[in-house]
Amino acid sequence: MSVAVRALVAWCPDWPVVATGADLASPVAVVYANRIVAASPGARAHGVVRGLRRRAAQGRCAELELHERDEAREARLFEPVVAALDDVTPRVEVTRPGTCALGMRGPSRYFGGDTAVAALVHERLAEVIAGRTDVRIGIADGPFAAELAARAARAVPTVPVGGMASVREEMAARIVAEGDVAGFLAPMNIEVLERPELVDVLRRLGIRTLGAFAELPASDVLARFGSEGLGAHRLASGLDERPPDARHPPVDWSVSSEIDPPADRVDRVAFLARTLADELHRRLGSDGVTCVRVGIEAETEYGEQLIRFWRHEGALTDAAVADRVRWQLDGWLNGSAATRPSGGITRLALVPDELIAARGRQLGFWGGETEVDQRAVRVAARLQGQLGADAVLVPERDGGRHPNEQLRLVPAATVELTGRSLAPEPDAAPWPGALPAPSPTRVLSAPIPIDVLDIDGSLVTVTGRGLLSASPAVLAARGKRLEVDRWAGPWPIDERWWDPEAHTRQARLQVITVDGRAHLVVLANGVWSITAQWD
Amino acid sequence: MGGEWPLAQDEHMFDTRAMATGRARNLAVDSFEFDERADAATRRADLRLVGDRVTPMALAREQTLPVLGPLASLFPGGALQRGAVVGVRGSGSTALALAVAAGPSQSGAWTAVVGEPDLGLAAVGEFGVALERLLLIRPEPDAWSSALAALVGAVDVVVVAPRHRVREADARRMAARLRERGSVLIQVGDRWPVGADIQLDVVAGEWDGLGDGHGMLGSRRVQIHGAGRGSASRPRSLEVLMPGPEGGIATVES
Repeated sequence: MSVAVRALVAWCPDWPVVATGADLASPVAVVYANRIVAASPGARAHGVVRGLRRRAAQGRCAELELHERDEAREARLFEPVVAALDDVTPRVEVTRPGTCALGMRGPSRYFGGDTAVAALVHERLAEVIAGRTDVRIGIADGPFAAELAARAARAVPTVPVGGMASVREEMAARIVAEGDVAGFLAPMNIEVLERPELVDVLRRLGIRTLGAFAELPASDVLARFGSEGLGAHRLASGLDERPPDARHPPVDWSVSSEIDPPADRVDRVAFLARTLADELHRRLGSDGVTCVRVGIEAETEYGEQLIRFWRHEGALTDAAVADRVRWQLDGWLNGSAATRPSGGITRLALVPDELIAARGRQLGFWGGETEVDQRAVRVAARLQGQLGADAVLVPERDGGRHPNEQLRLVPAATVELTGRSLAPEPDAAPWPGALPAPSPTRVLSAPIPIDVLDIDGSLVTVTGRGLLSASPAVLAARGKRLEVDRWAGPWPIDERWWDPEAHTRQARLQVITVDGRAHLVVLANGVWSITAQWD
Repeated sequence: MGGEWPLAQDEHMFDTRAMATGRARNLAVDSFEFDERADAATRRADLRLVGDRVTPMALAREQTLPVLGPLASLFPGGALQRGAVVGVRGSGSTALALAVAAGPSQSGAWTAVVGEPDLGLAAVGEFGVALERLLLIRPEPDAWSSALAALVGAVDVVVVAPRHRVREADARRMAARLRERGSVLIQVGDRWPVGADIQLDVVAGEWDGLGDGHGMLGSRRVQIHGAGRGSASRPRSLEVLMPGPEGGIATVES
């Protein structure tokens, strides 16, 4: 059995919120694809938690300040934080903006023990972060346990290394002694595995803690849940997710490119990042491997060497690598004067660092992302480039009484295309006043203004009490006349009466004309129009 | 949570989506993994062998996409042939196009609707098209055919309702591309200059539920005529409720 490599994880809580520059005490949240992805302590006090829909969050806290997620900015602001650790160990890896990890074997020996390294790292980070958020440190066997330790860390008084002995500072760290990792993980809720489908099944099987899951025989877990389940089982047992691969990269899989003239702006290197990522991906793919950690290396015209490692829980796709390269370059080139390279970048290289055998993108056990999904996502991205972001749209759930309000269109770029669910929320109450199914197949983006006439040819009106002045007999538009066969209504709506600008009163009719078509006819502001049709 | 549905959900987990498309590829991956010790050259040779063996299976015309039960009798073999152009016309054509697209969509396919700004999204859902696998593309008229070409092959079902004249050469090129890539094109209206492989016409419809000043729009009983080329050339006819009382499509209960 291979015990995981001892690792330290430093975690800055609420980093996406910190990156917006907002004050953490006030209610601030960051949204992505209409869901809350991070909330400040001030917002959490109002019950705003991760995963909440934007509208629901605003319902819980009216003065909530919302920011769209900007991963590039998060990464850029995190770069100086990581850079502060460069002289502790050269191999700091960024798990995601806000969380970084380092291997403990060397540093622990050099600085004299885990506690000393933790104190040093804490001191360095606290200095850079300067009170914008706090820093939590976790040390354990393996990055998974170390991250959980960091999350479990509480502030404890300690003496900073190299500081005066009388100065006592608060340091939030949790150090799990070597070999104790299984005991540390055992009482944890299985949700920390962050595999919702697996956790759902396990919970229904009565398995609620990592310890209970780890007690299952590994072979049975593999037989029932496949390699993903086995990976989770290894994590729960305090092992590395994958058995170490003896095959260390004998071949140089790294890809690089010279840049001439030297680039000092990100946009000039961004397209290159994309090409390099594609090439790396193709090269790895042809040898049947994929990488979970990639080193981004840059050389400047004055010979400076910059390198930073990025890790990804799943295997890194080409788009994910390209994103990370862009963020990293952004961090270097737009960082503070102290960390910024002195010249333009002349060479960019991608070094795949941890390789695993590619299992192929097979259909996931739980559905998951399939080949079919991938092709569709790729074509959506391509068309966005070709036609503009506003020309590629997807439905998103919303609320309202009119057709195309409960589902509305948003640019495909703003949502995660795979793994979405647009099923109505199970406890969602219906919108009073909305017309029931069948819904119209065509909702006119430009309603057709018409006259609704009665049998005598005079305009039909709706009284203040919501009654028709006469039965509609003819719909007249642009010189054409369509006789009404059958009709029903009017159904009035009085919306947004609290807002004088947005206040509308409308009356709706369903009308079947003699040609057999069904129309939704609406009276608003004294004007009749056809707004939707059943075609 | 009731006592029964978690089990049902469990069983859904074994559903594999979109098996039809990835067939050749899955085979290739399997053989790759079985033989990990073989060196790269033998592996590649093996792959080629497997590739040759499965090529005839992957021909578009031998693969089909499912259609919804109530519509099955309109299609030869009760399924939608990959690479086909399906034309829909008549009053209710939008609904029919959605109902045809719903079959593949429910089995995991993606649907793209090109250049239709007035689609009623709630109805799309009611007809059974998976909204999470729906793309709406709104190209400028001059980018229309290039957008369509990009979608064919990447998305299994493409719905178009051309508002402008489509050139015959473009239509023929598109048909060839469809046959090669295996996507299905559903075209609404009669602006398509070349005959469709399967032509469906809504010929008559009678609404139910709405009275003279009372009631509410309910279901619509429609008559659909099917014709086409090749195996679809025998005329077919069908009566269904479209939309049915809950939206979507339903068989007529006699």
